[in-house]
Amino acid sequence: MSTVERAAAAPSLWTKLAETPLSLRIGAAILFLHLLVAATGPLWAPYGYSQMATGIPLAPASLAHPFGVDQLGRDVFSRVIHGGHIVLLLSLSGTALGLVIGSLIGLLSGYVGGLVDNVVQRLLEALISIPFLVLALLAMVAAGPELSGNPLLVVFVVALVYAPRIARMARTAAIEISTRDFVTIAKLRGESAVSVMRRELLPNATSILLVEFALRAGYAPVLIGSLGFLGFGLRPPTPEWGLMISENRSLVMIAPATVIGPGLALASLVVGLNLFTEGIARILGRTVRLGVQQ
Amino acid sequence: MFVTRLIAQRLVMALFTLLLVSFLIYAVLEILPGDVATRILGRDATAQSIAALRERLHLNDPALLRYLRWLGGVLHGDFGESLVSSRRVLEVLAPRVMNTAFLSAYAFLLYIPLATIPALIQAVRRDRPVDHAMSVITLVLLSMPDFLLGTLLLLLFVLAIPVLPAMSTVDQTSDLAEYLRATTLPALTLAIVMAVYAVRMLRDNLIEVLDADYIRMAELRGVPARRVVWRHALPNALVPSLNVTALNLAYLVGGVVVVEKVFGYPGFGSLLVDSLQLRDFPLIEATILIAAAVYIAANFLADVAAILLNPKLRTG
Repeated sequence: MSTVERAAAAPSLWTKLAETPLSLRIGAAILFLHLLVAATGPLWAPYGYSQMATGIPLAPASLAHPFGVDQLGRDVFSRVIHGGHIVLLLSLSGTALGLVIGSLIGLLSGYVGGLVDNVVQRLLEALISIPFLVLALLAMVAAGPELSGNPLLVVFVVALVYAPRIARMARTAAIEISTRDFVTIAKLRGESAVSVMRRELLPNATSILLVEFALRAGYAPVLIGSLGFLGFGLRPPTPEWGLMISENRSLVMIAPATVIGPGLALASLVVGLNLFTEGIARILGRTVRLGVQQ
Repeated sequence: MFVTRLIAQRLVMALFTLLLVSFLIYAVLEILPGDVATRILGRDATAQSIAALRERLHLNDPALLRYLRWLGGVLHGDFGESLVSSRRVLEVLAPRVMNTAFLSAYAFLLYIPLATIPALIQAVRRDRPVDHAMSVITLVLLSMPDFLLGTLLLLLFVLAIPVLPAMSTVDQTSDLAEYLRATTLPALTLAIVMAVYAVRMLRDNLIEVLDADYIRMAELRGVPARRVVWRHALPNALVPSLNVTALNLAYLVGGVVVVEKVFGYPGFGSLLVDSLQLRDFPLIEATILIAAAVYIAANFLADVAAILLNPKLRTG
């Protein structure tokens, strides 16, 4: 009797968990696994990420070398494990920086309106008109040879690519929220634009920005991987997954595991992030369209 | 004529955006602080070679003047001279653009059935195991970077079905058969990336349309199920995906950069990567400007299509 009453009073953690969308739970589980490996991997990875002569180069995958051995004799499995925190850290910090810059520009531009908004919109549109990978490559080259391969530059480039796209979303949200009564009241109270933005617009745009962040973070590993793949991202011997795929690609016919390994890591991370994004969007009652095209 | 004015307005906006892009590209590469010649040649270059390059690029002129001169040239179809090969940029670019146009057209041709057929199957068999299985497959493909997908397709086709070449090399003497052989795998890669993006939306649209009253009416009138799906449901479900197709076209502009590199196809995308690696600024400026122009044109066409298809804007 008492158990029934207690259950009715406050749903147990388990029922709450059961109510969350399945995609969120699977996504969270995959992400948790990735985070765990990224955080603890360097402690238990069988070999170092640049350690050579770990086995016979290009030997087929075995229990000792689940993802095979690359042409320099490095254990690909250990390299994938060591790469986890690099990919996660760069993706999340780049997207976070893009979110901060983008929402600031977008909310301000949408709230202030008028000429400022017009000028900002034209500029953002011009930036968005350059395909995102092309824009990233352009920024990499414009930064000059001294900075190339610098992880901070990669973070900055991810932010540069995402900020205009996030700003466009934030602006639409700001315009929509600005028409509501509580914003008018805040304005009549004599609050400054910054205060209205911080206290009225931002809290009401959180769910939009959160979904936007999750969506962008999901494709940041792909963007970083593409840059690495083309030779414009991080430098060897950094165990970034896209770079590894590019390094081992020429010998994919002989040692397929050396490409499939990092590929599996990259794809599973993006699957996890995408499922997580979809789940979050469903909870917040928003629709989200996954895809690199956005 | 409200519609004509709206379209004209969009056209002016598109051209203005393109102008702004041209300035951005030029500014980022040639006006930003730091010496352009040093950035191209690197720190180790001799003072002599830097001076020679400065002369060749007219770097001693004011930046704005250089931009206007470059823009003037572009408007006359003259993109300047490649730094590496000393050939006219247009001459280097033209065959590459043609190759990419062929690849893109092929990819689009493959994209249409790859997007519609799975969506149709899913919509008709909704919430059945087939639908769920296909949703999982789409999600996985959606999460796979194009360079990984291309490499895996290469592995699959070259090892399992060895009819297609691993390297997509073509030259001026190649005939259509050689082109088709060379471009099948890259086109398939691009088509899959575009299709998985469209499938999910198309499935949802189809389900919505299949539930509509006029479809129920058609069924009650005794129209065969096959005809209902193909003639009544599909065309109506396709209209909202116009936007998706425009986004896909926009993706294609960036997608060819990676995919052409995976297969070694001598197109516009691999030219861009090469020119970036060699720091051939005039060639970089021209390729990025063209990429942006295609992107802007795709969005403009989608806007026009949306305006023309919107009955609310139809007057008289």
